[in-house]
Amino acid sequence: MYFAGVDIGSTMTKVLLTDKSGNLLSTIKGPTGPEHRQLANEVMRQALQEASLQIDDISYIVATGYGRLNVPFADRQITELSCHARGVSSLFPNARTAIDIGGQDAKCMKIDKGRLTSFVMNDKCAAGTGRFLEVTATALGIKLADMGEISLKATKKIQISNLCTIFAQQEVVALLSRGEDLENIVAGLHDALASRIAALARRLGIEPDLVLTGGVAKNTGMVKAMKESLGCEILVPEEPLITGALGAAILAKEIYMKAAAAGEALPTRPRRLEKATFFSEEHQ
Amino acid sequence: MSWFMGVDIGSAHSKGVITRDSELVASHIIISGANYRTSAETIRTELVKKVNVTQNDIANTVATGSGADNVCFAGQKASDIVCTARGINKVFPQARTVIDVASQSTRVIRLSEKGIVTNFTVSEKCAAGSGRFIEVIANVLRISLSDFSQLAARSKSPITFSTGCAVFGESEAITRISEGIPKEDIAAGVTKALASTISSLVKKLKLEEPCAICGGGALNVALVKTIETELDTDVLVPPQPQLIAALGAAIIAATPATSQPSKET
Repeated sequence: MYFAGVDIGSTMTKVLLTDKSGNLLSTIKGPTGPEHRQLANEVMRQALQEASLQIDDISYIVATGYGRLNVPFADRQITELSCHARGVSSLFPNARTAIDIGGQDAKCMKIDKGRLTSFVMNDKCAAGTGRFLEVTATALGIKLADMGEISLKATKKIQISNLCTIFAQQEVVALLSRGEDLENIVAGLHDALASRIAALARRLGIEPDLVLTGGVAKNTGMVKAMKESLGCEILVPEEPLITGALGAAILAKEIYMKAAAAGEALPTRPRRLEKATFFSEEHQ
Repeated sequence: MSWFMGVDIGSAHSKGVITRDSELVASHIIISGANYRTSAETIRTELVKKVNVTQNDIANTVATGSGADNVCFAGQKASDIVCTARGINKVFPQARTVIDVASQSTRVIRLSEKGIVTNFTVSEKCAAGSGRFIEVIANVLRISLSDFSQLAARSKSPITFSTGCAVFGESEAITRISEGIPKEDIAAGVTKALASTISSLVKKLKLEEPCAICGGGALNVALVKTIETELDTDVLVPPQPQLIAALGAAIIAATPATSQPSKET
């Protein structure tokens, strides 16, 4: 008996497979990218290959993330908020607050006994999401993945005066040409984003333990800036990208087991690795 | 009779005018670039060349715009709100509301019958509330700003942007293109989005007619038409809308200090 969680984020697609005891068999990540329509099945195919499984072996598949609606082979869609909460609590049973910073939004979640109790999120303005760092990294001619390391060398933080990502993009280039050090600018960018996320989290109220997830949690400079902005310790999973997919796989197992115990037949979708189509259900 | 100069250093473009007898005799527009100081110098050099005078013939220069401090040769500075108000009042003395659509922000100004600023509001420094939103989407659609308006005007079913952020709007436009949505519907969609943001800013301040529009955004006919529809009023557009603040600055330069309106910002 095997279960799968598929998390289609705006930047990365994640697939995670577990067996019936919840052991992780494989996790595969691929960039969602411009070819996102084809990626859900491609990432699933790789994950199955790694686990030496066939798609028909999977008992139940839960899809989550912004692209969850149209994963053709998923049996059920669950919001990323519930999946993140579940995934985070399975890794950190004492977690009460989870902050997930992705490429398209930032979510702050309160968790109690593995369940989501309340949340606030920003998906309105890029300046409060990982996109802020993506865009400014490109403007500075550095890799997003290198930002953390670069910022740790900073001797001071340069304050970024523009809130809007589009204008900040111009500002950082102007700062560079004015002779400011790259590491100080990058530290300033981290600080700007961290203070906005901290303000969002404070609206919800912060309770320890606090867990930071999402692609941005892989950025060591950002974790440091978040600690400073929030004034508390932060736990980061070894693999901060997969908590959504992990939660989805755990929920897949729970849903399946509950139905099995009640003797109900769960409807499942045909196990075909077809191309996912986006937006069609949501927008037509 | 003396010559007066107004220089408006904006975040995107630098504008300058020379007036004589309160009439515009020369104007010059360049991209502001990285060095505002050089841009200001270039404007002055080009302007005096155009009217065939020397720098010493300019009796007074007033600087305005976000880069006003870089106009080292200016006799004084004035806020862009006051300059825009004076400039519009010169072209349209009847105007009571002015919308200034600039590259980084949008400003709405209310004027008294004498053309004095009675109230104003400035949008947040957010690209989705300024002309920049259109620049960003024009870039995605690979069309020039000058062709943008005509393209948008051809649309029969503008798309609705699901986001109020220019960065997310950019991604949305890319997705729409890949879905095969015609370019004109995307262009009209962003025009509508910006027009509605601007209109709510106007409504916040309460519209008093007649309403005029200036700034680079006023060059976009489709945007002006959409704002007219949103506000349900005719909007006056000056011939060179992006020069209005510079014109106002030159008028202030020509006004003796004692007779200037006291209500400054």
